[in-house]
Amino acid sequence: MKKIKIFAVALLAVLVAGLTACNPNKNEEYNYTAYQKAVNETVKTNKKNSKVILLVAFGSTWQQAFDAFDTTVDAYKKAFPQYDVFLSFSSAICINRAAAGENAADGAQIRNYYAPPFWLTAFAQKGVMYNEIVVQSLQVIPGEEYTRVINYIKDFANNANGDIDDDYLSRVILKLGVPLLQDENKDVTAVAKALDNLYKTQAANDIVAFMGHGNPDSYDTYKANIRYTQLEEALQAINPHYFVGTVDMMENFKPHVYERMAEAGLNKSNKKVYLHPLMSIDGDHGHNDMAGDDLPEEFQGKSYTFADLMATANEEGEVEDCSWKMFFGANGSGFTCDNSTMIEKGLLELPSIRQVWMNHTQNAINGEPLDYYHSKNPE
Amino acid sequence: MDIKKFLLIGLALLPAWPLAAQAPVQDTIPEIVVTATGTSHLLKDVPVQTEVITRQMLQNYAGRSLEDILGGLTASFAFNEDDMGSHLQLNGLGNSYVLILIDGKRIHGDVGGENDLSLVDPQNIEKIEIVKGSSSALYGSDAIAGVINIITRKHRDEGLLLENSTRYGSYNDLRQHNAIGLKYGKLNSLTNFQLQHSDGWQNTSVEYSPGSQHPVTDSQNKTVNRHTNVQVGEQLTYTLSKQLEFYAGGTIYGKRIYRPNGKYAQFDVHTYDLQYRNASASAGGRWKPNETDVVTFDLDWNRHAYMYYFTANTLVEDYEKSKGTIYYPYYPYLPGQTEMQSDQRRTMASLKGVFTLPGENLLNTGAEYRYDWLYSPTRVQGSTVSDWTAALYAQDEWKYLSGRTLLHLAGGLRLTWNRQFGVRLTPKVSAMLGLGPAWRIRASWSQGFKTPTPKELHYRYVRQMSGTYLYLGNLALRPQTSNYFSLGGEYTHAGWSINVTAYHNRVGDMITLVTIPNYQAPAEYIIQYDPVRTRQYQNIEDARTTGVDLSIRYGFRDWAFGLGYSWLDTNANQYDSDHDRMHQVIIDGTAHHKGNFFTSWNHRFSPNYRLSAGLYGRMSSKRYYQIDGDGKGYQIWRVATTHDLGHSKRTVWRVEAGVDNIFNYVDRTPHGLHLGTTTPGTTFYLGLTIRFNQGRKVSSQFNETINNNFNSKQYEEN
Repeated sequence: MKKIKIFAVALLAVLVAGLTACNPNKNEEYNYTAYQKAVNETVKTNKKNSKVILLVAFGSTWQQAFDAFDTTVDAYKKAFPQYDVFLSFSSAICINRAAAGENAADGAQIRNYYAPPFWLTAFAQKGVMYNEIVVQSLQVIPGEEYTRVINYIKDFANNANGDIDDDYLSRVILKLGVPLLQDENKDVTAVAKALDNLYKTQAANDIVAFMGHGNPDSYDTYKANIRYTQLEEALQAINPHYFVGTVDMMENFKPHVYERMAEAGLNKSNKKVYLHPLMSIDGDHGHNDMAGDDLPEEFQGKSYTFADLMATANEEGEVEDCSWKMFFGANGSGFTCDNSTMIEKGLLELPSIRQVWMNHTQNAINGEPLDYYHSKNPE
Repeated sequence: MDIKKFLLIGLALLPAWPLAAQAPVQDTIPEIVVTATGTSHLLKDVPVQTEVITRQMLQNYAGRSLEDILGGLTASFAFNEDDMGSHLQLNGLGNSYVLILIDGKRIHGDVGGENDLSLVDPQNIEKIEIVKGSSSALYGSDAIAGVINIITRKHRDEGLLLENSTRYGSYNDLRQHNAIGLKYGKLNSLTNFQLQHSDGWQNTSVEYSPGSQHPVTDSQNKTVNRHTNVQVGEQLTYTLSKQLEFYAGGTIYGKRIYRPNGKYAQFDVHTYDLQYRNASASAGGRWKPNETDVVTFDLDWNRHAYMYYFTANTLVEDYEKSKGTIYYPYYPYLPGQTEMQSDQRRTMASLKGVFTLPGENLLNTGAEYRYDWLYSPTRVQGSTVSDWTAALYAQDEWKYLSGRTLLHLAGGLRLTWNRQFGVRLTPKVSAMLGLGPAWRIRASWSQGFKTPTPKELHYRYVRQMSGTYLYLGNLALRPQTSNYFSLGGEYTHAGWSINVTAYHNRVGDMITLVTIPNYQAPAEYIIQYDPVRTRQYQNIEDARTTGVDLSIRYGFRDWAFGLGYSWLDTNANQYDSDHDRMHQVIIDGTAHHKGNFFTSWNHRFSPNYRLSAGLYGRMSSKRYYQIDGDGKGYQIWRVATTHDLGHSKRTVWRVEAGVDNIFNYVDRTPHGLHLGTTTPGTTFYLGLTIRFNQGRKVSSQFNETINNNFNSKQYEEN
């Protein structure tokens, strides 16, 4: 009986120990310090100049996008030899996956993109303390993502985490490079000209449609969506065969683009519709939403017409679960659109467009009077 | 799957059975069941149709898991195992509408409505009772599609019990079970240990990536990931007198799901594994004032914690430091650390009595109190929330016997009082008409409900997913409800048991996330996060399931044969959150036709050797889904043998060996699309059970008595 009692007590002890097992997590500050240390080391190791440019992209997990970012950093280093150049992602998921997986299985270097706040803190660390920090947005429109870029700088300038030397903050020169289509005249015109130079051959007889991202209606931040419309106007002033649509902007989904093409009478002669992402890189949206084989489920493996697709449009006028390629290429659309008309290029892969972003960086360096506290509204 | 093909196979096999045999046969299933009414009945006399998976069937089948057992031995279940759970479906409705009981007590803890079925040790199951349809009058929340009661093995014999069961199979599939039972005087101790492990498997290395320039054909993602779980349990029982018994016990449990890493960031790269930590403690007693009445009282505490276990540096967005006092746009977790996703704790107290009343009445009545506590630092405002429910219920059964006609009526009513939704009455009425010993007709109408979960009531968090979304719980939620109607007939005679049941289940007030105007959301969130889209849980969906279940079993001498078929049709009004409108759809995962088949042969060749050999088939037609493709139909056949060796009074030696999926069917649909079944193809298993029992068998009045609640059969030696 006694043995059983001892046995029972021992079992209870095991149970209690199990319930109160300690948490392996260290404190929150430790994690920050440990993570920041890695960024600090990267900056320390690579510091060659007293000034730095931080490029901020949303991020991607596509190899083509990584290559485009590499090319962009190289181009920046060449164009701004007085500056160190780093590139950051604002998407944590993209950062995690790039760091954990990209090419790791092939023995290649792990890609650590890090988020902007960690880079900025690393720039301010003792022994580094860049004199000048230029943050360049790699966004296309000054919309929702761009507001996050601005907030990173504001948090840094305000020493939101309290981990930056105030004295250093008072003397560091902070500059902000604006998105590609910041200025409704200058930038929009420059980008339109550059795109036309690249695709005037295709647009001569056929159609070139660009697919931007856009902000959904409920968060069309600072009405930045209008830049797509302005870009289309600028392009059409050069050649009416250019169109600009989006995946998220209200009243500018692919059926709306089609309507504008039809209004211009372009859907009568089976013209080719060339599709091109209007995004900094060719990633998920370019490969799937634009050039993918996605088709609404009811039509898969069956014959259907363009009118059938249009009949499934939702209240907002969008035909869902259908790629741009399958939409414009559907029987009865009046167009030809297939794999041969996909232009799978991100804007950063186009040197002339990349140059517009670099001009913005140069403008910031030159002291373009832009106050990041009041830089949100593009109108 | 070709159901016709399955039927043809079944018919082809039928002539092998000695249908014309004249020899007297016994009723095949003289089982006692308890789940339908909470009182004990012979299976054929229970007023609500109950499906039983007996100890003998479990032993012959040697299932690797509860999913394997339910999927293989009945026609009504479907599973689609993945990291987030088993995705159990019972007659078209998912796990969150199915109440799973272990020894009459509700299983605890879920992730997205999916219970962790690995909490059930497949080698420690005495039998399984399945009552389809709504049963909330008796069981309260969640009993909408049905109740599964898993009755575990017990030890009540004198002396010492030592048991080891080891089942090893393909893909390093290990099921280890150990039990140590001690009975010393009035104290009885039973200690259980279980370990389940599988290396997991990969049915395809192709990722679904339409339009990709570089299709991924060497993904590392597995169909079922490597996983390990361990559980230790202890139960102490003290029999004070013939009338009074007390018990106390507890379990601890841990599980880890390992996720592989490949080189395609968008597909097969994972920076964290999934981890579970469970614990339970219970105490209670049972009082039998006389031969027919019984009163039980139980106190239970359970914890179910679900967390990420980071395997690489992982940045999370929108982190609220120190329980929401400071906001950080990013927060890094380091390898080896965990982030709690949800820690659910439940405390339950219940008192139940079963009393025989004059005039052939049997009263089952009781009271329950349940307190739920949820800690979810990343999802819930203030990190913790709680909820409570109190309930009173009563059920009366009345029997009327006249000549060869037996009428058995049962009516029950539950009064539930919930902190959030207030008071609710839930009825159930069932009737059975017995015409002679062979024919039974059963009809029932019952209601079910599902209390809004603490998550649905209290969630408040912001997520950035191509835009900013604010998710809001809703304290005004009503319970989800159901009305279930069934009508069935049964014939049990001369070794045959044939049952046909038709049912219709209407589920209303189903809860889902709905986009609401921002002015209805808390202003401070809109100001902080604007532009933001707000989604809130609301009662707006409904669903209907209609079906017929057919079960045929036949036993003759050493042979047993069974056939199950389930026809199902579903439709639902589902909310489309992208367009703020309702769509009429078929319920995800519905298969119109499902079936199972088994035949087994048990023969004792000598006192030292008994063989049981069985052929088992399971099949399903296409499973329908709204998006990501339909699951293919399938049929899977298994050959299972068990060999009892050297059967002695004290020691049992049993070897189990078999081949599952003998025709090597594998669904190689690319990752990202729905599978009909996740089977890896042909697998082999070998099991060894050694049981040593020192001491004499004792009979306890707590066993086998007709009014005993959730009676525990003796720890049988077969």
